[in-house]
Order: sequence, then structure tokens, then C-alpha cells
Amino acid sequence: MQIHVKCGCGEGNCPEWAIVELQGTVEAQPSFQNSLQNLQIGILCRQSQENYTFSVGYHELTGAKVTLKKPMLVLKKIKLQNEEEMGERDINSLRVELDVIGIIRHKILFKTRPKALISKPQPAIKEKVTRQVP
Amino acid sequence: MDMEHQSVGCTGGAESVLGIQPNSSITIAYHPLFGPHNDLSLLEIDEKLIPDILQQRVTIRGQPDEDAVLCTQSKTYAVKFVGTSNSVFLIPPSDKAMQECNEKDDKSIPVASVIKVAPGSIELVEVAPKIDKLKILLSQNPFSFDDASNMDISDEREKMNTGLYKWDDLVDKVQASNEELRSGLRALSAVEIDGYWRILDDKYMDMILNMLLHDAILNDWSLNALNEDEVLGALETDGFPRNIAMHCFQVYGSKVQVRVGGSCVWRLEERCICVHFAREILKRGKMKMETFMAEWIRKVPDGMHASFDMLEGEVLTEKLGIETLVYYFSVSSLPSTPAERFSILFRERPKWEWKDLQPYVRDLRVPGLSAEALLLKYTRRSQPTVDAEPVFSAR
Repeated sequence: MQIHVKCGCGEGNCPEWAIVELQGTVEAQPSFQNSLQNLQIGILCRQSQENYTFSVGYHELTGAKVTLKKPMLVLKKIKLQNEEEMGERDINSLRVELDVIGIIRHKILFKTRPKALISKPQPAIKEKVTRQVP
Repeated sequence: MDMEHQSVGCTGGAESVLGIQPNSSITIAYHPLFGPHNDLSLLEIDEKLIPDILQQRVTIRGQPDEDAVLCTQSKTYAVKFVGTSNSVFLIPPSDKAMQECNEKDDKSIPVASVIKVAPGSIELVEVAPKIDKLKILLSQNPFSFDDASNMDISDEREKMNTGLYKWDDLVDKVQASNEELRSGLRALSAVEIDGYWRILDDKYMDMILNMLLHDAILNDWSLNALNEDEVLGALETDGFPRNIAMHCFQVYGSKVQVRVGGSCVWRLEERCICVHFAREILKRGKMKMETFMAEWIRKVPDGMHASFDMLEGEVLTEKLGIETLVYYFSVSSLPSTPAERFSILFRERPKWEWKDLQPYVRDLRVPGLSAEALLLKYTRRSQPTVDAEPVFSAR
């Protein structure tokens, strides 16, 4: 069988997606684990031209914006339901298409271990982060 | 870890993350629709393939029980999922409809939303097409004399449609790019008959070629300058459909001239014709070299000269006492994957000299491996003395 890779966005117009990547995992408090939607993960701050920090809870990560060696495409699987076919044949005839919905060329990469923030973060997190600058 | 429900801020997206200015911040949060989103995947792709994708010339091919491959117009790539233990937060561009910045609320910093944590990405590795399957498919129902005589009777044809494949069927079943598939069809001398890609049965091919040569003698045609219209007309009267007679020209001849007014002039290729007759003779099995040569020279048409070196990659010889035996062993019948090819070659003959081996391996292509690297990988090269010919054996 054949799966077509389609692109509806047209040449040069593919929307750019972003990746924020860090080592390990981010764990939410147990009470939130099943309802992560809308939950804040952390604050991303561009400290200077090259330096980025990502503060998650009491931890601060240091990283940089990197250009991917090879770009990545975001593919979305689309199930095409052809009713005539569905009637005659089994589930194998379910046709699928891959839609290119975005392209990723850069990511903000945090490859260091987190540094503990000693002081308790205040509600105005932006201020807290700027205070960390040596 | 302290995480609060975010209620304020204007909704930014990927562009806010990538375009963040020095000395400013953005909140990263889970998207209102955050979830596993198994329908979303990441494909790492070479920059040079992006135009192919954007112009929708890329497909993923394979049966459910095969490892999928991605095909551009000319190349085939293996598809491999590479997992990561990092947390890869995937942030889509902002949804224009949802982007409602509260202009009055200056203090709020923008929020970028993570739709999914990507478990890894798909990577592509260029591979050789899995073209051997094409031969298996087309060999199921080769075009024979029966087909030709039933061509006009549609009922009969319906019954014989098993094992017949149209271009779209082949694309569905063979893991190769369109160009690779086309060149595979050419290599098999396949022809499209009534929409189906067929190979011609050996006997039928032999029959039509003999008829053509016979007509040439009768009509005193030169084998170096055959008039297409005359030949096709004559063969048609002999009961061979025009498109198939034309195919015979394409397999055994080459076009030498296109005449004004449409009709072409063809020349039969000496090597193709001679190899054909050698193959027909050797179908009976191994034979003594002298017997074979005598019969072969007698069989080829007048004006053509059979010489043993034409049979490179088609026949092998072996010594039996003082006799030399010759037998049919064609490179075209061997698998195209190197491991299988070498395994058959070394089963046939444990030790090969380079001049014998070369015709059986020169067509092997593996992306990223040179011919030398292939030999190094699959053979052991030994040289009994410094000035002796190197000998190749199995690793």
C-alpha cells in the first residue's frame, strides 16, 4: 500500500514549530498528573544573545538556541474514510495520508543538569530570574 | 515542583519562543489540548528532500508486514524511529483565532503552549530498492502464446487476470521509487499490455524472434536496417500483436533512424541475438564446449558472429578431466541484495577469479558502499603468490 505525504501549506509557507528540549523529564505534582492541560511548566528567558535559561519550579537550566543539522517535519496522520471501501473490505483498507503541518529548524536545547534555585521563587517569576544573573 | 494554572497572558506560539528578544521571558505551559497526539510525528529530513515533500512527490510504501520505506521520485529510504530519553516539548505556531492578547495587561508575559512531548523522531536512511519482488510478481503470469490468441475474447481474459499487475498495483506492492520501478521493468524487458505490466514467456519471445528472422530471410531484409512498418506488418499477419512485435524490437534491437513520415529503421543487436540463441541451446543443460560452440555458431543468423566473450555474466564453464563444460548461469536470475547474491555465487563456486566474478557483481548497488567496500564486506581475497591472480572466496 501507499501512503501519500501531502503538504497543504505550499512551498516556503510551511509554519515553523519550535522545540524546547531538556534532559530527563518534568514531573508535575501528583494532583495535577492527570490534568496537565493549561498547566505552566516554567519560564523561558533569553538572558543575552546566546544564553537561555529555563526555570522549572526551583530548578534552573542553562541552554542555547541551536539550529538543527537536518530540519524536521511535523507530520499529521489523516485517516481517509472511504465509505464504499469500508463496506466491502476490512479495516486494512482504511486509507491513511500524512499531512505536513509544520517544519522545525531550531530548538532551544538545555543539556546541562539543573541548578537549584536557593531562594523560594516569588510570584513575579520574571524578577526572580533576572536576579540570578551574576 | 510548583506549577499553577495559567490564566493570564497572551497566547504566543513557536514564533514567540524562537523570536524571543534578549532580556525577555516567555512562559512555557501545557497546551489546552495537550496530550499524547499519536497522530503527530516528527520526520527528520535532508534539506535537499524538502522540495520533493512540498511538491507532494513523496510516498511511504510497503505492505503491512514489511518495514515501511519512503520513496521520492528517484530514491528509496528506510524509515527508522529513533527514540529519545530527553523531554522534547513540541510547540506549534500560535493559532491565529486563539491569539487574543490583552493589550491593557502589560505585565503579563506571553505564553507558548506545548501540544505534545515527542518520544523521538523518524529518520531516513537511503537504501537500495526492494526490486526483486517485481520479478516474482511478474513471473506469476508471463504473457504467452495463449494470451496472444485470446486477446480479443474479453471473457477469457477476465479469467486470466490473476497475477496481473497495473502500474498502480506495482507501486502498491513493490518498495521502490517510481524511477527505480521503471528501470526494474526495463531490466526485466517488461511491456505494458492492456494496462498490465507483463514479461513475455521465453518460448513466446523465441517464437516471435524466429518469425522475425524468418521473415527477414523471405523478404531479403537486412538485419541492420529493418523497416518498422514492414516488419510489424509482416509479424501481424503471422499472428503477433503489433505492440508485442514492437516490444521485440526494443528488446533485441536499437533504433538507427527515424524517417520523415513516421516509420523507423531498426537494427538487430548482434550481442542480444547471440545471447538469446546461446540461452535457448543451454536450456537443455550442461554441455561440452565444442558441441555448444558448433551449435551456437550454426544457429545465429547469417551475418552475425557469435563469440564466447558475449556470454559474460550469462554462462559459466567448468573443467571435467580434459573437457570443458559450459552451462547457463545468468546474472539476471540472481537476487539484487548483496548478501543473497554472494551467498548464491559462493554456493555455485567456492573460489572465483576476478574476471569471472566481476560480471556477476558489477550491477550491485548499495547506497553508501563502494564496489570495493562491497567486496571487502562479502568476500575474502587471497593471492597464493605475488604475481598470481587474486582469488575471492566466502568470508
